[in-house]
Amino acid sequence: MLSGSGNGEIRMVGVTKRFGDLAAVSDLSLTIPDKAYCCLLGPSGCGKTTILRMIAGHEEPTTGEIRIGGEPVVGLTPVQRGTAMMFQSYALFPHRSVLDNVAFSLKLRGASKADRHRQARELLAKVRMERFADRLPAQLSGGQQQRVALARALITNPRVLLLDEPLSALDEYLRLRMRGELRRVQKELGITFIHVTHTQLEAIAVADLVVVMAQGRIEQAASAREIFTTPRNAYVARFMGGQNVLSGTVESVADGQAIVVDEHGGSFSIAVNGEKPVQGSRLVGSIRRDRIAVSKAQGCAGASDKLNSLLGEVHAIEYQGSYVKVTIERPTGEGFVANVLDVDFFRDPLDIGDSVLARWSAHDVLTLEGAAYAGEASMDEAGGVLI
Amino acid sequence: MRQAAGPRPWTFYVFASFFALFVLFLYGPMTVIYILSFQGPTGGLTFPMTGFSFRWFHALVTAERVGDIGGSFQRSIVLAVIVAVLTVVLSVAAGLAFRRRFPGSGVVFYLAIASLIMPGLFVGLGIAVGFQLLGLDIDWYTSALGAQLTWTLPYGLLIMFAVLGRFNRAYEEAATDLGATPWERMREVVLPILLPGIIGVALFGFTLSYDEFPRTVLTVGTRNTLPLEIWAMTTNVTSPALFAVGTVTTIVSFIAIGAALISIAVIQRRRTRGSGNSV
Repeated sequence: MLSGSGNGEIRMVGVTKRFGDLAAVSDLSLTIPDKAYCCLLGPSGCGKTTILRMIAGHEEPTTGEIRIGGEPVVGLTPVQRGTAMMFQSYALFPHRSVLDNVAFSLKLRGASKADRHRQARELLAKVRMERFADRLPAQLSGGQQQRVALARALITNPRVLLLDEPLSALDEYLRLRMRGELRRVQKELGITFIHVTHTQLEAIAVADLVVVMAQGRIEQAASAREIFTTPRNAYVARFMGGQNVLSGTVESVADGQAIVVDEHGGSFSIAVNGEKPVQGSRLVGSIRRDRIAVSKAQGCAGASDKLNSLLGEVHAIEYQGSYVKVTIERPTGEGFVANVLDVDFFRDPLDIGDSVLARWSAHDVLTLEGAAYAGEASMDEAGGVLI
Repeated sequence: MRQAAGPRPWTFYVFASFFALFVLFLYGPMTVIYILSFQGPTGGLTFPMTGFSFRWFHALVTAERVGDIGGSFQRSIVLAVIVAVLTVVLSVAAGLAFRRRFPGSGVVFYLAIASLIMPGLFVGLGIAVGFQLLGLDIDWYTSALGAQLTWTLPYGLLIMFAVLGRFNRAYEEAATDLGATPWERMREVVLPILLPGIIGVALFGFTLSYDEFPRTVLTVGTRNTLPLEIWAMTTNVTSPALFAVGTVTTIVSFIAIGAALISIAVIQRRRTRGSGNSV
């Protein structure tokens, strides 16, 4: 009984949702494959919860089409859609026992008491909550409530489970444990999970498909690894946090590499991938934090003139166990982060205030699409041709 | 508990004395009335007590000159129950409706609330005159009922706002998500969760009606409600039977309040059995 019924592929085409004059979601198209674990990731107000609620049937799109398993679902009830939602607050009915909460939808469908209680107990056993069947929600901890909410949502046998920030109400320890458990349940049931979160690490830890959103649009939809290692644009690179964004104006192009100079006088090479950017146009790239070597800058004055390096002052040092996060502040204020392996760092430890030189190799630099800042694209584009 | 943390500030004594005065002022006279209602058969309206008897309670149901206490008491209870039921039904419905902004909702809200600040006597006068103009007879279950509702409905609505302010709409969405129809959602989820607040609205409706005076006095017609009957008695009854009425009506009020509080407590207890840290 615990297998999903039907195809849980979700296809959204040209979906827009307006609340008054405000477009929460603008002309969004996205396909989530059947049996995928998809995370919608973005800062609050980016439209990710609105998308979830439109798939669930708690909001209807202003325009556009939503299909689940090939069938158009706009206008259908959640039950007709074959979706189930787990709410951020869990929304367990406070006046019903755990067992009756889980059995609620079976009761509405006219199942006998014995039958619905048996099914609810089976599902509670699956989330290891059978011992708490007779308790009331207020007598459970946050983690326990979440398991009950999960069981209650799954009892409808959905082909798609929608989770609205499912882990945000839990403490750090439970959050890590529950996210593994969600992933396990999803694999076991073989149904589509769509999980809304604003936490980058949570998304890349569980998801097959990560959808990074900003201001009602999709910035990038790809596998977790792709999102993290090859962000499409500066917004994704900044938001995911594993990258430093390099941007500047093209000075020259040779051998497929553009030499780009930024406003602080640093110069970097960024691959142009067959394009021919005009001199003076803007180009954006990124370099992973763990591909940067940091050394003390004594005796190499003027080194910042060198390509693919920059001079700065150590602003913060955070020990992270396997690596040390070194934040370097450039004379003009912009931060630049290098993750240095702990063995390398402690060979010649740095201190806050040290002058350092950060270096990287040109082939680690990623070429990014568009302008340096999402949302400022039109302003930046006015300056020149972009790749 | 409180640690011995040095002398209390002088403000403590100021406010404590004020509170003591307040308590004395509120309960002192009432206590005197309750005591004097047990006045001996030969006693009067003031101390000293000449004995202890239930004579004056007995007089309420027998003596003609005391007035129609039995009848007015009955009318008051029936009216209060009707008012309570109507107040619950209408203010729960209105409270749920006001959760959604609709065109003119602000105007409708202020129109509904305005009757709280209208002088009650004039509301009653207006209703009485209106009935007369329309050629309708005024009576306790028509004009007086309407007059009391102008007072209890805005109260009920305001209480529902407070109750619904803490109501998480996700409960409704969860019910819909699990396949509930709008009616099932209301019956199985919304009303049970709101029940303690609804009992509060009913209690307010009942007690506001039970001792309503200014709106009722001109709209009640020839058959008085209890507060009006007592008012009439104060001018022509000079025996401790007057105090006995006070004692009996107070007991009824306490029974109503007690019943409501107990049922709310039972509901809350059932929801949080044994756990001290309910949400």
